[in-house]
Amino acid sequence: MPSPCLNEIAGIENKLIVQIGCLAVSNHPKALLTTYSLGSCLGVAIYDPVARAGGLLHAMLPDSSINPARAAERPGMFVDTGVAALFRACYQLRADKRRLRICLAGGAQFMDKTNFFNIGLRNYQQCKDILRQHGLPIAAEQVGGWVSRTIQLNIKTGEVRLKTSGQTSELVL
Amino acid sequence: MQILDDYINKVKSLPPAPRLLPQLLRLLNEDDVDAGQVVDLITYDPGLTAKLLQRCNSAALGLSSPVHELSQAVAILGFNKIYRLVAVVIGEGMLGNAQHGYGIDSGELWEHSATTAIAAKVIAERLGADEDLAFTAALLHDIGKVVLNGFLEGAYEPVLEQTGASGKSFVETEKTILGVEHSEVGGRVLARWHFPENLVQAVWHHHDPAEACPHQQLAGYVYLADLVAHCLGQAQGIQSFAVRGRPEVLEMLEITPREIERFILQTSAAVEEAHGVIPIHP
Repeated sequence: MPSPCLNEIAGIENKLIVQIGCLAVSNHPKALLTTYSLGSCLGVAIYDPVARAGGLLHAMLPDSSINPARAAERPGMFVDTGVAALFRACYQLRADKRRLRICLAGGAQFMDKTNFFNIGLRNYQQCKDILRQHGLPIAAEQVGGWVSRTIQLNIKTGEVRLKTSGQTSELVL
Repeated sequence: MQILDDYINKVKSLPPAPRLLPQLLRLLNEDDVDAGQVVDLITYDPGLTAKLLQRCNSAALGLSSPVHELSQAVAILGFNKIYRLVAVVIGEGMLGNAQHGYGIDSGELWEHSATTAIAAKVIAERLGADEDLAFTAALLHDIGKVVLNGFLEGAYEPVLEQTGASGKSFVETEKTILGVEHSEVGGRVLARWHFPENLVQAVWHHHDPAEACPHQQLAGYVYLADLVAHCLGQAQGIQSFAVRGRPEVLEMLEITPREIERFILQTSAAVEEAHGVIPIHP
């Protein structure tokens, strides 16, 4: 069964904004899932072209162990709990793990050789580790650098569009 | 110093000096705060007072009945909350515009500044420092961008080319192109506005707090808060993450890198809580 609450929201609104620390999934053909201002946060877009279902996550921190209570309320805040919740929600929309196209964006980094401040890098590494453990390949990624990004997943086509703050051109992942 | 003043003098649309903020801060630091004096200072500006009462009556503050007089609001909310509301109303007026020279759209500098202010309050609270001081310094830390914006407008390509990939941070590129950084211009603006030296130094050196002698701690809160705001997605503009990591700040404030993640979480919750009172659109 589809996840009723999330799917219903996307069904009513064509454009659904995924806030920081949140995730959304949909199989509604008119749904456009957008998340803004991915700085060090990691955006994960997944899409199954057969089920025509997908989802988008905007995770803030790599590891939920820092505050498990918060992770239980809002799994999307953390990469580990967020990725798991995103995949689970998409499976409920009949998405198949083997068909999912996975795109990553965000994970901007500070100029920090010590990496003490580089939450963006840790977010990205955490996500890569989880995907590798499950044998899931990354189809496309725009991560790192010094920029803030916005991505949008089109549920009808599976297209992921990316815009970089301070620049006008768009990119298709 | 002259070059900083030259830039400041050339700007046609510099916001009016927020004289009220240093005056109120001074009052708040007195042992026995005189409520009448606080109310008198604020009500001298009727426009500000009206906006302030509107914020006090917003649903987000959850007052049981609406307040109509500033004295009532002060009595109910306390000086510190009123002070921060004043700072927010004034700050929004000064920082709300687009800063195209930095690739910042309308409202984005304000949201970055407000998020940084909330983060600084969270950090100061955790480290047992003056929360209002940290809040104010962080709220105004990027005021220099308002001054330099016009001068950077033609420099989009060189800024993009020189920052990041070639190893330069954003402010280092600013220095190469303009001869000054927005942080020092901001500090100078606050000095000309008669803000106390600690706030001037904290804004002046918010990219390199070790230089803010003897106010490194306050500058350190602003530096960390700025990074926290970045990590909460409130850092728009060209190459906005090209900021140097300063591990010595963690040492100075005696905190671990893991603590930064806690600050991010706590600030994110505080921003959600403040929503409606401090308009930020995450």
